[in-house]
Amino acid sequence: MTPLAASAVAALASGPAAVPLASSPEYTLPFVGPGTYLIFGIVLLPVYAMVAAWFIGDPSDRFANLLGLGYLAGLTTVLWGSLFVATIIIGVVFF
Amino acid sequence: MSVDVTGVDRETLVRPIQTFTKRYLAALAVAFGLIGVWLFFYVQQLQHGLIVTNLADWGSGGGVPWGLYIGAFIWWVGIAHGGIILSAAVRLLGMDTYQPVARLAELLTIAALTCAGVFILIHVGRPDRLVTSVLPAWPTRVQWSPLMWDVTVITAYFVLTATYLALTIRYDVHRLRDRLPNVLEPVYRVITVGYTEKEDQVVERMVWWIAFAIIIMAPLLLHGGVIPWLFSLLPSMAGWHGGVQGPSFLSIALTSAVSGIIIISAAFRYAYGWDELIPDTVFQGLAKWLGFFSLIFLWLQLQQVITGIFAAPTTLQHATEVKIATPLYWVAIGLVALAMLYAFATSLRPELYDIRVLVGMSVAVLFGTLAEKVLFVVEGLQHAHFDLYAGVPGAYIPSPVEISAVLGTVGIVVLFFLVVSKVIPVVELHAIEDHEEVDA
Repeated sequence: MTPLAASAVAALASGPAAVPLASSPEYTLPFVGPGTYLIFGIVLLPVYAMVAAWFIGDPSDRFANLLGLGYLAGLTTVLWGSLFVATIIIGVVFF
Repeated sequence: MSVDVTGVDRETLVRPIQTFTKRYLAALAVAFGLIGVWLFFYVQQLQHGLIVTNLADWGSGGGVPWGLYIGAFIWWVGIAHGGIILSAAVRLLGMDTYQPVARLAELLTIAALTCAGVFILIHVGRPDRLVTSVLPAWPTRVQWSPLMWDVTVITAYFVLTATYLALTIRYDVHRLRDRLPNVLEPVYRVITVGYTEKEDQVVERMVWWIAFAIIIMAPLLLHGGVIPWLFSLLPSMAGWHGGVQGPSFLSIALTSAVSGIIIISAAFRYAYGWDELIPDTVFQGLAKWLGFFSLIFLWLQLQQVITGIFAAPTTLQHATEVKIATPLYWVAIGLVALAMLYAFATSLRPELYDIRVLVGMSVAVLFGTLAEKVLFVVEGLQHAHFDLYAGVPGAYIPSPVEISAVLGTVGIVVLFFLVVSKVIPVVELHAIEDHEEVDA
């Protein structure tokens, strides 16, 4: 844990207005860690740029842009949703 | 620069869809056979647990809970990079030479990432753990855990590549619809939903941006980022730790990826008589890429060995000495070096080029990169700081269950291509369109 994160944890965990994650162990507080900036701030940056360019650039088309976004959201949902359904089935059948 | 495909028409392009041969059935049988062998062993793992692999815990296998499963996971993600290399070459750099094999490479990305996912699925033991361990924990753990970063970015890579494919395929299916089987009409209707030819320019720009996003995210931040970070952020494993792992992982991935493309493209060329559609020029170009990436691979191995044995900290020195004393490591290095020498030799003397030799070299490279990755994972664990697992009995040897999984995933890739090539054109219409009259 970085010194900054450590001090943030201490400040938030000890203060009266601590982040309301009652079930989370202390080391998960605050809701910010290296992954927060590394994944959402750096690694996924090209994806944000891509989506922005779809809408801002020229030529652009509302239907095609929404279709692209639909694929991104839909495929993610199908991927993990189908695994979730499989998990439910495994639970019902075997446990 | 582009290849001369003036003699190729649309019938040639849809040949895999319109033909059904004994050879196809034989390939189908091989794919199902490989998958069947794996399922036979996997059922045993499901019945008895991961103990059948010796990977169950630190109480067996010399302290190695990660072995061939994780090595093969990294290997498949590496192979998956072929898609973006080719797509980027064509869309971003204008290297039309590779247009005939670009979609095959994109499909390889989808198939290889699926296989990588299969290895995680089977390695967590109970398959439902993939969901129960990841989904509820994701919102908090992605802030901290490299394992969650990995899951997140691989999902993003898969979704971006599938979106790329879904957008580009609309153009081809619309124009080749009269040559595609009517029985699949519902599939084609979904693929081309809302399609008008006015969207072509817009979609071309959109997929340029997808290629741009993936070319930064996948090689640099996935295989040169979150995957090596699974290892390199752990200072307790001397053989894993350090910043060189990012570029090193990437070099191995790119070498494997080009090999994978060469094998798949050569297989389609052989099966469908596509000598004109995928001419030798494409393979000679890919051979140069293979040579270049192999060179970078070997250079980064040299970096690790020299810094590990010259005056390294004790544990790193030990880990490196073990590495260079392992015969299989030198087999892996030797195979990649051999492929590099052949690739460069064909550049200097084109008469040495033979597609069969090139495919053989590519298979050898894939064996070498898999061996290197498995050794990296296993030896990193076996030679941790403080001899952490010195008292753990046994030694790690890949079990038949694990080896069968590698065969099974190869079968999955073969099956994937056999099925997909019956549904959509596996070569973009753009590859021949410049030379024909476009019936708009």
